[in-house]
Amino acid sequence: MTHLTSVDYLVILSYLAATLAIGLWVGSYVRSGSDFFLAGRALPWWAVGMSLVATDIGGADLVGVGGDSYRYGIVMGNFAWIGCVPAMLVAAFVFIPHLWRCNVTTIPEYLERRFSVQLRASVAAVWLVLMACNLGVMLLASAQFMSELAKWDMSLSIVGVAILVGIYTWSGGLGAVVYTDVLQGIVMIGGCLMIVVIGICDLGGVESFIDKVHAAVHARARQAPAPAPTMIDEPSSVTRAKEKLRLTKTKEREREHLSLVLPVDTKSPGPWPAILFGLALVMSPGYWIGNQRIVQRSLGAKSEYEAKAAYVYGALLKGLIPFLVVVPGLIALVKYPDLAADQAGGALPMLVGRLLPEGLRGLFVAAFLAALMSSVSSYLIAATTIYVNDFYRRLYRPHADEGQMLLIGRWTTAGFVLWSVCVAFQMMSFGQSIYSVFQTLMSFVVGPTLAVLLAGMLSSRTSSEGALVGFFAGLFTSVSLFTMNLLSVRTWLDMPPLFRIDAPYLYYSIWAFLATICMTIVFSYFSRPDPAEKTRYSLWEWREEGGAA
Amino acid sequence: MTMLHWIGDALRGQLLLVPLPAVRWLFIGLLLALMAWVVQLPSSETTPSGRHSAWYEDLKIWAWLALMFQVLVYSVF
Repeated sequence: MTHLTSVDYLVILSYLAATLAIGLWVGSYVRSGSDFFLAGRALPWWAVGMSLVATDIGGADLVGVGGDSYRYGIVMGNFAWIGCVPAMLVAAFVFIPHLWRCNVTTIPEYLERRFSVQLRASVAAVWLVLMACNLGVMLLASAQFMSELAKWDMSLSIVGVAILVGIYTWSGGLGAVVYTDVLQGIVMIGGCLMIVVIGICDLGGVESFIDKVHAAVHARARQAPAPAPTMIDEPSSVTRAKEKLRLTKTKEREREHLSLVLPVDTKSPGPWPAILFGLALVMSPGYWIGNQRIVQRSLGAKSEYEAKAAYVYGALLKGLIPFLVVVPGLIALVKYPDLAADQAGGALPMLVGRLLPEGLRGLFVAAFLAALMSSVSSYLIAATTIYVNDFYRRLYRPHADEGQMLLIGRWTTAGFVLWSVCVAFQMMSFGQSIYSVFQTLMSFVVGPTLAVLLAGMLSSRTSSEGALVGFFAGLFTSVSLFTMNLLSVRTWLDMPPLFRIDAPYLYYSIWAFLATICMTIVFSYFSRPDPAEKTRYSLWEWREEGGAA
Repeated sequence: MTMLHWIGDALRGQLLLVPLPAVRWLFIGLLLALMAWVVQLPSSETTPSGRHSAWYEDLKIWAWLALMFQVLVYSVF
């Protein structure tokens, strides 16, 4: 991307100032721990809904999905369509209202009410470690992308973003994070919409754009290497058969670029079993029901109805997101069709640099910063909430009052900011691959957490022992599969890869989920049922008794 | 080759047999099933409690719209 002008910087500074002002304004109303961690349970549906969407789209996703859609096509849209909307709606009407009624602050807290303190501490510890490390990784990824996008100094970016996000999260807690997310969501959607509109107009309108995408995809599919010529004369029937096979493959590749449903043997990261079973049925429900980063917002909603409405509103917005993040990749494909596979990640920055005029480039960088900051702040408040509620208050100071909780919440936030800056600097030498490794590690926990949550909510027969064993069995499964699929391990063991796609994290999540469910059922069957004060937190018994809180 | 490879290959072989148009209908069927579920939800679950609500406050409508859009998308692409 080309350099930014003073007008661009003015736009970026205005955005940053507005973010800080909103965060500090919300912070002026924070008086207690409850205000800090759940925004006093006073958040309106529209703010929570926009915050859900803004949190879900990270800066790395913005650039990454653009690059992946350049390379693989619209299959990346699955991550926001079937990979979000169905799970969000089921969560809206079944699981989120239940968690809201239980009046919990964290997912691990619910797990203690339904199961045991051991499960609460285990789930909280695993999530806390991953979130704390991910904070540093997100900061580093932000700095790397800002360096590529606008040639900003990486160290300054790390410290700058950390301080800014730290100040408004320290001041206003969840409320500040949610209300700044609203601004960040608007800037993000506006910035991406601008690229889409300008890009499509530049290509001669919607119809012309569609024709050109088809032509570019066709040309790209034909570029695939032809079969190697044979040294001996082969019969013409064999030559014809080879040519027919080549044409069939070309048509398949062309269809794949513009299809959401891809075959099992596709090279893209979205073969249909991974999308349907891994993404739609495990990762997505795990994300929207069992991820503290996401669920915490709806727990802070004004009422049960507002919590549901936020998820439904978020689902409506998610329907539009692929048009904003996938279409720029296709525009780049038409304009710069000759990028190599490893250059595809630069497609969006290239588009921004060459397509947008002065001022609007600044708006896009602001949109990108917005996506980064909303991700970092969501990790920050979630990690702080888990540490303070599931460890400090639960194990160390059970009688801490609201004032103490606020104080410790703020200081923990500051501690995590400092920690994340140190981790980011420490990881600078690892390069960008560390980001994808941590994303994969996060995916390990989603399947087991979802499985124990569902087992606890949907069945009163699930026992505490069964859930605890199941959770660790799931973790063990995903970690084992990941380890066995590493190139170095495979070479050492002299065996072929377990999975045939590049990033099989969706498959890890399926197997981890299944392992957790199986072990939970088996161990629950052989152990004593939980007492009534535990099983009353399952969905069905809660309704029969008319409330357990 | 380990036991895991054998299981994986067997599953992969079976999944390869499923024709893509059938898979597309599976995706759309899942969404249609959810639409049917949303429609039959009781009003008490989808409207604000304790007061009279306007038609646009019924979350069923918006959830149904979100799913309808998904059905359209998966039918076209």
